Amino acid sequence: MDKEIIKKIKGIVGRQRVLESFEERLCYSYDGTVQRGIPALVVFPENTQEVAEIVKLANEKEFPIFPRGAGTGLSGGSVPQDRGIALVLTRMNKIKEISKEDLLAVVEPGVITEVFHQAVEKEGLFYPPDPASLKTSTLGGNVAENAGGPRAFKYGVTKDYVLGLEVVTPQGDIMRTGGRTVKNVTGYDLTRLIVGSEGTLGIITEITLRLLPKPQAKQTALAIYDKMENAAQTVTAIICEGIIPATLELMDQTTIHCVENYLNMGLPLDAEAVLLIEVDGSPGQVVEEMKLVKVACEKNGCRQVQVAAEATERDRLWKARRAVSSAIVQLKPTKISEDATVPRSKIPEMVRRLKAISTKYNLYLPVFGHAGDGNLHPNIIADKRDHEEMERVEKAVAELFQAALDLGGTLSGEHGIGLMKKTYLVWETGDVGINYMKAIKNAVDPKGILNPGKMF
Amino acid sequence: MMNRCSRCGACQAYCPLYQETGLEPFVARGKVELLDLLQDSKLQWNDKLAEIFSTCLLCGNCGDNCPNKVKADLLVREGRRDLVVARGLPIIKRTVFNHFLKKDGRLGMMAKLFYLYQHSGLQQVIRKSRVLEKLPGNLDLKEKILPNLSSREFRKMVPKVIKTENSKLRVGYFTGCMTNYVYPQTGFSVLKVLKANKVEVVIPEQGCCGIPALASGDYETVRELARKNLASFNSLSLDYIVTDCASCLGTWLEYPELWQENGVNLLVEKIMDISTFLVKILQIELPNPVDLGLIIYHDPCHLKRVPGGRENPRALLKQITGNTRFVEMKDADRCCGSAGSFHITHYQLSQKVVQAKVKTLESRQAQYLATGCPACMMQLSHAFSEAGLPTKVVHTMELVAKAY
Repeated sequence: MDKEIIKKIKGIVGRQRVLESFEERLCYSYDGTVQRGIPALVVFPENTQEVAEIVKLANEKEFPIFPRGAGTGLSGGSVPQDRGIALVLTRMNKIKEISKEDLLAVVEPGVITEVFHQAVEKEGLFYPPDPASLKTSTLGGNVAENAGGPRAFKYGVTKDYVLGLEVVTPQGDIMRTGGRTVKNVTGYDLTRLIVGSEGTLGIITEITLRLLPKPQAKQTALAIYDKMENAAQTVTAIICEGIIPATLELMDQTTIHCVENYLNMGLPLDAEAVLLIEVDGSPGQVVEEMKLVKVACEKNGCRQVQVAAEATERDRLWKARRAVSSAIVQLKPTKISEDATVPRSKIPEMVRRLKAISTKYNLYLPVFGHAGDGNLHPNIIADKRDHEEMERVEKAVAELFQAALDLGGTLSGEHGIGLMKKTYLVWETGDVGINYMKAIKNAVDPKGILNPGKMF
Repeated sequence: MMNRCSRCGACQAYCPLYQETGLEPFVARGKVELLDLLQDSKLQWNDKLAEIFSTCLLCGNCGDNCPNKVKADLLVREGRRDLVVARGLPIIKRTVFNHFLKKDGRLGMMAKLFYLYQHSGLQQVIRKSRVLEKLPGNLDLKEKILPNLSSREFRKMVPKVIKTENSKLRVGYFTGCMTNYVYPQTGFSVLKVLKANKVEVVIPEQGCCGIPALASGDYETVRELARKNLASFNSLSLDYIVTDCASCLGTWLEYPELWQENGVNLLVEKIMDISTFLVKILQIELPNPVDLGLIIYHDPCHLKRVPGGRENPRALLKQITGNTRFVEMKDADRCCGSAGSFHITHYQLSQKVVQAKVKTLESRQAQYLATGCPACMMQLSHAFSEAGLPTKVVHTMELVAKAY
């Protein structure tokens, strides 16, 4: 990178908050995927003003900016493109306000999701979005990727909780969208446009998040199945009972084996599938709903339902679920993590098709995920050094996306498009959709400064 | 093992250095990426990499919490070993390892010189002159980390074999360098409790366990020290070997892997932390109630990972009755940041890490903080004294001995 530019950036943020060496820059070349791209400089701004000045400089000198939180994304969304700067927002990590009266919080983008959960729960409030990486992921990253999580089934995803944003536009201006009200129809819904825009339309520097009162009680159960079909059927059956569990998670046999190997918690290794079901609400409601859930499981060929008696037992079950995404790498080192999502009623059919794809291409394809909202996580586990296998992976991924779209679903439920899925975007949006998106991008970012190469 | 790292970043939540710095080169994921590139010859060892790989506490918290059980602490250590092979040790470490660690006599001489420095008035002169403050590298603060040394080596103050009447067991005592040169009161406490429980103690010739060399990647030096220590404890017909130093224990437990000789396993199987010996083998009950006030405990990284390493010291502290109360400290098992010479080489960062403990102590007016590793003791007492906290840092055994 041009020495003059580096000097100017140091002038903006201070020399201590810039990493220049090749070795340090390598540590910002990745996210949770196999994608790599080494930034020419890593910069850690501490406030909106600094971000805006850097973006202005980028427009002047025409270098790209790759915004980044904790770098735990699963689409390559924050991976730089061997040039420009990685703009790491983790130092902007203040929770500015938690308002019980307005049921909202105002935060900087670098706040860690779990830290935020703990802070609002201390006040008797509740922020539902719970991506599996919540111990490390940042709220800014969650908003930029529109992250979901298990609780999305009942409570929705990140976009359902963003009331307003402060954004540095691709040309370096500071813009506020939305506000502190649930209702707001003033002009275009720019908040929704920025949420999930993967750092291509603006850099989020402040977020106003809607909160809920914390549910008083919850109950968690593990339902064990000899047949995957039956587990998938149960999901539909529970929904037909009129119950919306807070979470309804599915794990197939391969996944169970990997998690058991990691945690030794006594998961049934001979089961073809398990469902992790959690209901929440008032104490009475929770007991009632769990009863109905049990009946639905038993009617649909469940071998056994274990209801967690204590909080520690529940935490253990959740630890198992959260470990899945990483634990499956035991099989082979390279994980191609997909999040194709189908309408709820199509879960059994999607599971059948995934099995067929796995057999056809002779690949590890453990299936787990948020069955309640149709957001499965078919993960292809391979070895990137095996080129022949990687060719099969590519074909399998294409077929998997096609299956989701055939069933009325979508390419990505919660990871985003980033680099991993951009070649497939057109399958879902068509040319008209892509051109519409490109028109927006070109209008606000004519020089292609923010996160170029992503999405399309 | 490296292949199992999926770069998920979960280690960020568990790395004390990442929590202080927020920088990816400090966390396991960043280092694994670099090791991967080194292995594929896309990178060569250089000064920058040496610096990056020196920033790890080897506390192992990332590995304990990694979904794929990637033991990044071991990978970092192996990285340091490769670095030593590729570029040799830094001259300071080479000198220390070759001339002091391997030769116990010289280490003793060095300790004597330090004792003289501290007690002849020279230390006072130097501190008063504030000359160290004017030199770079926080020398003035670093100078204060080293507590007052013992006037005589612990091992020279006690007999090699301490018999008791009707002794029921015969144990070897690996004192470690810290108890020997810095904290002899720990050693006396161990002997007092063992004697009261009718255990015969043998303290043979011994040297450094090797952990400074192990942590620096100098495996050759560790092997040499391991060989000497093993030879010294072998053929003494011991029932058990005890140590009061968690770091020494951790190193001993690695001897079989470093030194694959016949009989090594048999000997190493006998070694255990003194708290484990008292609780599991002797099943002692403390005789006299004493009023010690509020006690909290800090888990040394090397002790918490051995079976019973968390429970046994607590079991002992809870047994001390009277008006003594044991209270669990928040994040008791978070690394204190001492990490061998890390607190000298990376003084400021190390002090940032220990601040979490200082904060806890500020809200809890504890009389004593007990722990099972002299290295943690040194780090914690320095931090507490800098912060003006009244809490005394002691070895668990010092408190146990008070109940006899």
